[in-house]
Amino acid sequence: MLSPERLALPDYDYLAQRHVLTYMEDAVCQLLENKEDISQYGIARFFTEYFNSVCQGTHILFREFSFIQATPHNRASFLRAFWRCFRTVGKNGDLLTMKEYHCLLQLLCPDFPLELTQKAARIVLMDDAMDCLMSFSDFLFAFQIQFYYSEFLESVAAIYQDLLSGKNPNTVIVPTSSSGQHRQRPAVGEASLPEGVEASLFSQCLENLCDRHKYSCPPPALVKEVLSNVQRLTFYGFLMALSKHHGINQALGALPDRGDLMHDPAMDEELERL
Amino acid sequence: MAALPVPWPSVKMAAVEKRRPLVAPAASFTDSTRPSVSRAVASTKSEEDFLRQVGVTAMLRAALLKVLEARPEEPISFLAHYFENMGLRSPANGGAGEPPGQLLLQQQRLGRALWHLRLAHHSQRAAFNNNVGVAYECLRASGRKKKPGLDGRTYSELLKRICRDGEAPEEVVAPLLRKIQCRDHEAVPLGVFRAGMLTCFVLLEFVARAGALYRLLEDPALATADRRMGQAVLDTLEGALQASDGAVAPARYLEAGSRLGPDSLALAMDRALVARRPSSPMTREEFLEKAAALFIAKVKPVR
Repeated sequence: MLSPERLALPDYDYLAQRHVLTYMEDAVCQLLENKEDISQYGIARFFTEYFNSVCQGTHILFREFSFIQATPHNRASFLRAFWRCFRTVGKNGDLLTMKEYHCLLQLLCPDFPLELTQKAARIVLMDDAMDCLMSFSDFLFAFQIQFYYSEFLESVAAIYQDLLSGKNPNTVIVPTSSSGQHRQRPAVGEASLPEGVEASLFSQCLENLCDRHKYSCPPPALVKEVLSNVQRLTFYGFLMALSKHHGINQALGALPDRGDLMHDPAMDEELERL
Repeated sequence: MAALPVPWPSVKMAAVEKRRPLVAPAASFTDSTRPSVSRAVASTKSEEDFLRQVGVTAMLRAALLKVLEARPEEPISFLAHYFENMGLRSPANGGAGEPPGQLLLQQQRLGRALWHLRLAHHSQRAAFNNNVGVAYECLRASGRKKKPGLDGRTYSELLKRICRDGEAPEEVVAPLLRKIQCRDHEAVPLGVFRAGMLTCFVLLEFVARAGALYRLLEDPALATADRRMGQAVLDTLEGALQASDGAVAPARYLEAGSRLGPDSLALAMDRALVARRPSSPMTREEFLEKAAALFIAKVKPVR
């Protein structure tokens, strides 16, 4: 349906929202790389194919990492491509190591950074025994959160560290107030040494984060939901909860529900034809 | 050949062009090891020259301006269609070959006119009217016979095409066509053409929304809706349309329809269910036909 807001936006903002210039520039680069093969008439044809492939989500195949992560649509397309190409791994019930998943990623993107795959694995393995085996669906959904929301997760990690060390990013430290008022929070942590941070406080900080920053973050309402079910939680516990959340996956729109992961009739049809 | 009614370059394109040299050296795969490092300035300059020479610069400039004018919901898909049509329109290089027959020319003209009409949504009044004007010009050029305007037959064909492509069932739109069609050899002035196009597109959107409404009422197992519910919705819709009587523009009816508050609709549906009369199913076709009829009743006939 029409969203009237886009009609009122200034030109640059409208274009930036859908990354139109990103794709136009990339189209020109691709054209330049293939210029020997293209005739006058072929240019329009070339651009047609380019923009069609962007729409279909195939434009990210075998492209460099900097392009793949350049826009939310690119990231979602890459996740989708990874799922469709390798879901048979899941079908057979194979369990792979982090390094093996990384090899699969590199088949689609030769310069995909190992660091990102490691971070994804850490979510599944709860930061423990990094050479353990993981199932395809566990890895895929953790990878989705790590890759699609990279920037958001970095900020979340920083907030988590602050909370752990007793600093509340929300309070304004007033030098003249009695230090006793700020002593309480660290005291809770020191006295009983519970794991992780307090969920409600964490939730508040994340709400502010989502408000303040432009980059994609999961729907704030759903994040709140995740945090409302527990009293305390660890960083990786939180990420695991995000990756398992059915609503967040749907909001992202790249992958089907966990239960339907093996179900891809379109791809099956393609494979039958071969 | 219809020309794009947009002014040539503005500051925007200059901004994009300035950005290009920065992007041109960006990652490309030579040895599949690392993305290539920035190339020498000279090669960037020659790339710019190449782009200008083959017409890419001008092409993208026009495309970007069109996107900004139309402000489509999905600009990338819009661009894909834009270039596809451009590819179809441009004569093959070295254009040898027989001139296409009259019928083919006619089809091409219709296709081109349709393309122009679809560039902007009917609610974007200025852009839509602009495009209607271009489409009209496109259809007028009839080659041999110098007719003063568009002929009724072409106009009717265009209306039918629009409705067909808009996936509205024929029975639903037939009453509209009967009202606004012109006789085959009549000349259709621009004013009539514009009103007809607008009405057509508004009806299609109206039918689409009615379809969406029906889907809410539909029982997925039976693929039909309860007649009482369907009729209640139609009655409320009629009421909303009547409330806007005296409105001139057909698009106002859409606004009236969307003003159907969930409360009034819910009340109507509630009342219908409570009435407890035996009910028969109402099919999608029937619902759409009746909904469309409410709208079409408001349309002034051409003659």
